[in-house]
Amino acid sequence: MPLMPRPRLASLWRNLVDRKSRDEAIGEEVREYARLLADEKEKEGATAEEARRAAAIEVGGVEQVVEEVRDVRAGVFLATVAADVRYTLRALARAPGFAAAAILALALGIGATAAIFSVISAVLLRPLPYREPGRLAVILHRRTNPVAPANFLDWRRDAKSFDTMGAAENWIPNLSGGSRPESVQAVRMSADLFRMLGVSPLHGRVFLPGEEEAGRDHVAVLGYRLWQRSFAADPRIAGRVIRLDGEAYTVLGVMPPSFEFPPFWAIGTELWAPISFPPARASNREGQSLRIFGRLAAGVALSTARAEIAAITSRLEKQYPGSNREVTVESLQETVVGGVRPALLVLLGAVVCVLLIACANVAHMLLARATAREREVAIRSALGAGRRRMVRQLLTESVVLAILGGAAGIALAAGATKLLVSLAPGEIPQLQAVALDWRALAFTLGVSLLTGVLFGLAPAFEVSRRDLAGTLREGERGSTGGPRRTRLRSLFIASEVALALVLCVGAGLMIRSFAALESVDPGFVSQGVLSLVVSVTGTGQAPPPRRAAFFGEALERIRRLPGVASASAINHLPIAGDIWGWSFSIEGRPIPAPGESPDAAYRVVLPGYFATMGIPILRGRDIRESDTLDSPGVVVVNEALARKHWPGEDPIGKRITFDDQDKNPQWLTVVGVSKNTVRNAWGAAPQSETYLAYLQQRRYLERLSSNYTYLTLVLRANGDPSALAPSVRSAVWSVDPNATISQVLKMDDVAAMAVAGPRFYLMLLAVFASVALLLSAVGIYGVMSYSVSRRTHEIGLRMALGAEQGDVLRLVVRQGMLVALVGAGAGLVGALLLTRLMKTLLYGVQATDPITFGAVSLVLVVVALTANYVPARRASRIDPLIALRHD
Amino acid sequence: MEETPANLLQGTLDLLILKSLTLAELHGLGIARRIGQITRGTFDVKPGSLFPALHRMEEAGWLASSWGESENGRRANYYRLTPAGRRQLRTETEQWGRISLAIASALKTT
Repeated sequence: MPLMPRPRLASLWRNLVDRKSRDEAIGEEVREYARLLADEKEKEGATAEEARRAAAIEVGGVEQVVEEVRDVRAGVFLATVAADVRYTLRALARAPGFAAAAILALALGIGATAAIFSVISAVLLRPLPYREPGRLAVILHRRTNPVAPANFLDWRRDAKSFDTMGAAENWIPNLSGGSRPESVQAVRMSADLFRMLGVSPLHGRVFLPGEEEAGRDHVAVLGYRLWQRSFAADPRIAGRVIRLDGEAYTVLGVMPPSFEFPPFWAIGTELWAPISFPPARASNREGQSLRIFGRLAAGVALSTARAEIAAITSRLEKQYPGSNREVTVESLQETVVGGVRPALLVLLGAVVCVLLIACANVAHMLLARATAREREVAIRSALGAGRRRMVRQLLTESVVLAILGGAAGIALAAGATKLLVSLAPGEIPQLQAVALDWRALAFTLGVSLLTGVLFGLAPAFEVSRRDLAGTLREGERGSTGGPRRTRLRSLFIASEVALALVLCVGAGLMIRSFAALESVDPGFVSQGVLSLVVSVTGTGQAPPPRRAAFFGEALERIRRLPGVASASAINHLPIAGDIWGWSFSIEGRPIPAPGESPDAAYRVVLPGYFATMGIPILRGRDIRESDTLDSPGVVVVNEALARKHWPGEDPIGKRITFDDQDKNPQWLTVVGVSKNTVRNAWGAAPQSETYLAYLQQRRYLERLSSNYTYLTLVLRANGDPSALAPSVRSAVWSVDPNATISQVLKMDDVAAMAVAGPRFYLMLLAVFASVALLLSAVGIYGVMSYSVSRRTHEIGLRMALGAEQGDVLRLVVRQGMLVALVGAGAGLVGALLLTRLMKTLLYGVQATDPITFGAVSLVLVVVALTANYVPARRASRIDPLIALRHD
Repeated sequence: MEETPANLLQGTLDLLILKSLTLAELHGLGIARRIGQITRGTFDVKPGSLFPALHRMEEAGWLASSWGESENGRRANYYRLTPAGRRQLRTETEQWGRISLAIASALKTT
């Protein structure tokens, strides 16, 4: 049977949509009436003319009659709809608990699913905003590591699978010539990458092919926000000269606001300049700093390109052994979203669970209500209410409920989507494109509407199938709606418990894994530490020996500030900073073959760094003021390096070098061993780290390249470090106002950043799991209290026949718990199968962690028991005398 | 003939229309004539009140209509009772019986 009876549907169509032909039909009917009347009068002896006139007078204006009929019809239709809606609202107001629970369940299901799907559709499903993004590929070492210039140039020369291939390199220059000096996130990249992406500038032009040659490469394209911020959105910016790291660059154009490149690293780039490869650089196979982008030639598959690059690489491997690590070719889309896909899919699974639970909840609530109303329906139809009218009434109720729930769900989805975007960690790409996805909203709304309508209509179908007398009689006894209905409700409850259990196990695993991450010792004490990057690139402080004096003086002034306990500096801070992995060799050991030398993070520090950061020196000493160019080179190594290279030996006094041993190397004596610190991945196995004395590193003291003209200052505060930020800035600027200060961060925030991803997913999963638990508890409670209230008569009878309170309690609880336990069992099996999918999200805990499974099962059983116990206790307190009189 | 205040007793008109259709399906003029006949000319229903009532009752599900050919070969919209209409007629007849009894006894009381 269709949801709406056909004649009714046809009438609705005629009244609302096909009004014109409706009116014509009425007009025709009235005119026919006049003609029939005229025929009648003619038969009585009037002339045709007289008869027609008399008939017209009697009928009155045809239009007027049509008008009246139309008003009446619309009035009747609206009046019955209004009556149904009024009746529904009254009925819902009489059952506020039911209405609130149903609306809340729908809102949570719709809201959560639509919000998460909105994120997924923007992040995973939306193609990247470039021309034919499916043909864009990324070439890297082992998926994430950059490539050396010589390798890139070989690939570009030899690979036939690509139309275009270009390289990009991270660059954070000092910008002057705008409204104020600042350091900006930029990339240097091959001139034809803009063309490869197929994007056009908002103003001016992008690079020409020849502009990556040395001499012509001092040109730049600005990002929209930089242009707005520092150049007052000057529309005639093209041709203007700006200074980057003190050198003159001509601005070529401005990109539109939506333009974002690169999409997976150097996020937030606001300036692009060409990269050039002078001969010395072009032959470099060691300095790996390039990310390679390519556009596949038409019709070439990614696997073909992959095979070709692999072939070229293995040929190069023979020519230059050790210089070619494993090369990976991936689609740009995969590179951008591959890292977050598992997490987002797990979240999608979680919200689908919530949606299913919500629908199951609404379904069994409506079903219970329908059973309760079966008598009402039976009485009304016995009194002559038409089935259509009843269906329409019940349909109205479901639709009103679904609309209220849907409206709340839309509001929730809109709010939740905004909240998600603001809370999401930086690792999720394309977040700026996240907007409420209307398709997702429509889908979830549709699912919930359908649920509501299907189960809301159940009593109307039942009535037509069953004999009224039976329903009325059975109603008198107070039943639970027959075995079929009871089974259906039990099924809903069991599936809710199962789904909630799966979700809670997922959330439990995330909690365990997060706890493991939190308990990781980072090796430093982050509380009270403030860090800031200070750069003198392009200023009068850059040339030696003023540079070292500048940093020394700035630190001295910071130390004198009230509230500062100690201060020092390092080139690259752990987690927040860069990592330069340099290869070294050990004195007295055979010189390793190229590409096989051990490497370590190359960190350069000023005295007092370890004390300020709270990193214990386990053996030997710290770097001292006296470690200068005039004294022998020194190095502090971390435990991991000491253990790896001098197992069982005392590393103090051993010598290493980062230079070529044949070419008058700078030997560094190990003077101390420091505790391991995290590098960038929280909880990863510690790797080799070296700390060299700033005052002994010529490249840091003398080279003008922007790679060496900044330091990260760290200070330990006695109180809240962020309160010190303003005075620290002024202290630095009091030495030189042209120095740029960026990335002023509390070390606590830096540490939090490292676990931001897991924290975010944990939070979401925990929210979804709580919602699922709550909905299931409400569901079990609702069904059990309903069943108890329907069985009042039976329970009264049992008690009258001698059952004790305890017997009744056990009877009711056992019945409810049986269903819950079956659900929990199914849920455990489901969880075992499904949590496997979240393996990549877990740290320090197995996907089948028995503690989590046990604890979650326990929680669920306790929740189910409570939800069962409350109505059961009510049942056991029934007074048999009242119960037997109970309707 | 006197003008009948149809709007004064809307229920009456509905009842008369339902009654007029118990034996056969009729078109608009046929209904008006049938009402005149069964009320012995007391009620003469005009199109201005007849058509709105017919359509309202059709919308309420008591009547159904279809186009057919009249006795003298003209096209006309014929109305017939639906089962709901028959039930409605029964309900209204009982109600009318109660009301007229009540009014009659009220008027007899001194």
